[in-house]
Amino acid sequence: MTSTEPITAPPRPPKAVVPLIEVRDLVKHFGPVVALAGVSMTVNSGEVHCLLGDNGAGKSTLIKTLSGVHPPTSGDFVVDGRPVVFSSPREALDMGIATVYQDLAMIPLLSITRNFFMGREPVKGKLGPFSFMDMAHADRIARDEMHRIGIDVRDPQQAVGTLSGGERQCVAIARAVHFGAKVLILDEPTSALGVAQTSMVLKFVRQVRAKGVGVIFITHNVRHAYAIGDRFTVLNRGRTLGTYAKSQIKLDSLQTMMAGDKELQDLSEELGGTV
Amino acid sequence: MTETSRIESTAAIGAARDERLRQQSGLRRLLSRPELGAFAGAVLVFIFFGITAHGTGMFAADGVLNWTTVSAYLMVIAVGAALLMIAGEFDLSVGSMIGFAGMMIALPTIVFHWPVTLSVIFAFAGALAIGFINGLIVIRTGLPSFIVTLASLYILRGLTLALSILFTNRTIVVGMKEAAEGTFVGFLFSGTIGDPLFTWLADNDIIGRLPNGDPSVRGIPMVVVWALFIALVGHIVLARTKVGNWIFASGGDANAARNVGVPVGAVKISLFMLTAFCATVFAACQVFEFGSAASDRGLLKEFEAIIAAVIGGCLLTGGYGSVIGACLGALIFGVVQMGILFTGVPNDWFRVFLGGMLLIAVLFNNLIRRRVVGGR
Amino acid sequence: MTAGIIRRTFLAATLALPFLGLVAPAHAAGERFVFVSHAPDSDSWWNTIKNALKNAEHDLSVKVEYRNPSTGDIADMARIIEQAAASNPTGIITTIADYNVLESAIKGAIAKGIPVVTVNSGTGEQSKKLGALLHIGQPEYDAGKGAGERAKAAGVTKFLCVNHFITNTVSVERCQGYADGLGVKLGDQMLDSGIDPTEVYNKVKAFLTAHPDTNGILTLGPNSADPTIKLLRDMGSAGKFKSFISFDLDSDISKAIKDGIMEAAIDQQPYLQGYLPVVFLTEYARYGVIPANNINTGPGFVTKKNIGLVEKLAGEYR
Repeated sequence: MTSTEPITAPPRPPKAVVPLIEVRDLVKHFGPVVALAGVSMTVNSGEVHCLLGDNGAGKSTLIKTLSGVHPPTSGDFVVDGRPVVFSSPREALDMGIATVYQDLAMIPLLSITRNFFMGREPVKGKLGPFSFMDMAHADRIARDEMHRIGIDVRDPQQAVGTLSGGERQCVAIARAVHFGAKVLILDEPTSALGVAQTSMVLKFVRQVRAKGVGVIFITHNVRHAYAIGDRFTVLNRGRTLGTYAKSQIKLDSLQTMMAGDKELQDLSEELGGTV
Repeated sequence: MTETSRIESTAAIGAARDERLRQQSGLRRLLSRPELGAFAGAVLVFIFFGITAHGTGMFAADGVLNWTTVSAYLMVIAVGAALLMIAGEFDLSVGSMIGFAGMMIALPTIVFHWPVTLSVIFAFAGALAIGFINGLIVIRTGLPSFIVTLASLYILRGLTLALSILFTNRTIVVGMKEAAEGTFVGFLFSGTIGDPLFTWLADNDIIGRLPNGDPSVRGIPMVVVWALFIALVGHIVLARTKVGNWIFASGGDANAARNVGVPVGAVKISLFMLTAFCATVFAACQVFEFGSAASDRGLLKEFEAIIAAVIGGCLLTGGYGSVIGACLGALIFGVVQMGILFTGVPNDWFRVFLGGMLLIAVLFNNLIRRRVVGGR
Repeated sequence: MTAGIIRRTFLAATLALPFLGLVAPAHAAGERFVFVSHAPDSDSWWNTIKNALKNAEHDLSVKVEYRNPSTGDIADMARIIEQAAASNPTGIITTIADYNVLESAIKGAIAKGIPVVTVNSGTGEQSKKLGALLHIGQPEYDAGKGAGERAKAAGVTKFLCVNHFITNTVSVERCQGYADGLGVKLGDQMLDSGIDPTEVYNKVKAFLTAHPDTNGILTLGPNSADPTIKLLRDMGSAGKFKSFISFDLDSDISKAIKDGIMEAAIDQQPYLQGYLPVVFLTEYARYGVIPANNINTGPGFVTKKNIGLVEKLAGEYR
């Protein structure tokens, strides 16, 4: 794993390999509310699988189910060919499934280093119940990782709050990958960002994919998805409308399918495709 | 730093540029230290009293001992309050805990004739248990610690009064000085150290003497030693250890911390136990110094502890602050509290002054925080 | 210590006062005294003493600083006395709110060669043990006992002692003295009322409802007396009580005495507790003279007979 791998030519997802994650007919009920009514999808190594859908389509529930926050009501969840049942996010994390939430990624007042190693502090020496943090080592790794992303980190002890939104997302992603994530679930990583910062995050996601990590990219922005995705799954009212490879579908049809509503599509055309 | 320069910087990292930026970071790092405000405040306070209380005896040996002792008592509870506040919680029961812990030491000793050492161990065990329960209720129910510990504030204060009336028919339990005479715990909490040094200082006319020939200060009270010890341990734990990182993380964003596997509940519960521990150290020092426990001991001390932590740069919202800052906050509070008496200003104005200090400290912290987080 | 000596000393001091005012300016040597009380900020009774200190400052051309622990925490008070000693005043005037707690601070000041006069709380014996010059105050237990004896004469059998400062040992002694004067056990007849007027009102109301056979009331000062007076007026049940006595005076208490709701107020004449120690310490500093005995400023009982002058000055100088 080096940072010099090409980032422009995404490798095709290899055929006939065991997917990193596979879910079949996943159902999740919250009391009388049916949040997921049968979702199926797979994620392979080295691909970006985009999960599209409007608000209320069930994206959040699906992520939380995949990341171990909610156990599914029914359906199969297979990781590396083995069926699993997670009872906590920690278990999912231990299986290599890491989630980067849109707003819970970083603690702004804490330093980059402290954020990066939060919960996985490098330790040197112990005194009674207290393990000392190897701050110098942690700083060095944090700085190296930031360089790899392409952030010129002036001082890894500076607060994360001094970084831009895009940089924060990148740090959170880098952290997950550094600690061995095989599947990365990104929840709306670009929705709050400007154009330049979005391209920075998308570039970094491509870099991560090149290392063989499987990425689930959740968004309601079709353009961002089309720019980075290898495959697309569209969710509507708790069901999958279908999964398409990039070669199988055009941006326009993806947009139509996601909107799921002729009138909105018309409006979008009227407004020059900006919706 | 503009948006464009940041994007440029992501494109290429030149070594020369790095050098220049690293210089800048030294100043930034200094400015972003949470105790900076408190340090500046402490300097300001000493300059202020250096001028207004000049020649009043405030900076003679016994005057220094006076405000040092007051600051040290406060420092003991401020360190606990600061660590808990950094972890995102409050303990309003600290003051009541001081009263209650005092009773837990005095009642068994005086009424049941336990050895003093046993009573002290009992009080620490009891306090830790109460701290544990406080923390457990906060974590399990998800209620604000403000409310939960407010309940403990009343319960403990009430118990202190009720138990002392029940067992002794009085609100003050006396005789602790006699009971602790010559014991190690008596020395541990109310003895003095460095006595020969002060005798030497008096012999060389560096400090004053009493008319009977004794030096005007006998030695350094143990409460000062306790304060420095607790502050040192607290600082190292917060700044250098894994647990310290967890404390920051728990207060910065408990959910984010939980998501990466930080045992937020355990961290917070241990810190509630720490504040109870600190309150008990305070109580033990006070009980053995004054020889009695009383049901009104520690009134409003919880707020003084929180004030010291806030003056010291801790954010009320958690996730930010330092132990050194809280210690400086305690020093400022103690020096102001006593110094204002030396200046001869009417007592009635004391709270006005104190309120002003608090406001300035909070405004200053807010400014610093914006500089750190905003950055642009 | 006979009453005769006390009265004579007291008389001499009182007679000397007007003359002191005349000679003082010549000796305005910048004497500075610190008066340390144990009262929390909220206790308005001390206003009389503060006024007395102001008068003494003016009459004698000296400076007096009034200090108190803002929450009434006696441990904080000990620090204030230590601070006062470190500031090298001409003299310190302090209450002995708690002998054990204040012992080392007061002894420390005396060891430093600072003359100390004790006032208000505490006893003459305690004052002597500390090494203070003299004690000016009212023996609290005796005052409570005196009130209890009066109540017994009035036919009280069950009473309520409204204690607004239960954490102060001295207040408990007042209630105990009353019970002993009455010849009954204190038991659960002492009520911890708190200092908030509404709270006092409701707690007293609840107690009287729960104990309908109560026929005597003792309140320990305006903080507990004023709401209790209001309650009796509101309920119109003042006649039910054979004796209602309060410690100390303020305008509400004076009015209650005039209206016959209250039998008597125990007046410890706090003005003297503020004024006299400043006079004595000033004279001690200037000429080395000081009365040889303790001075009891109370208990005096204010009743309907002598309320006239008292009422006019209540809360200010009485």
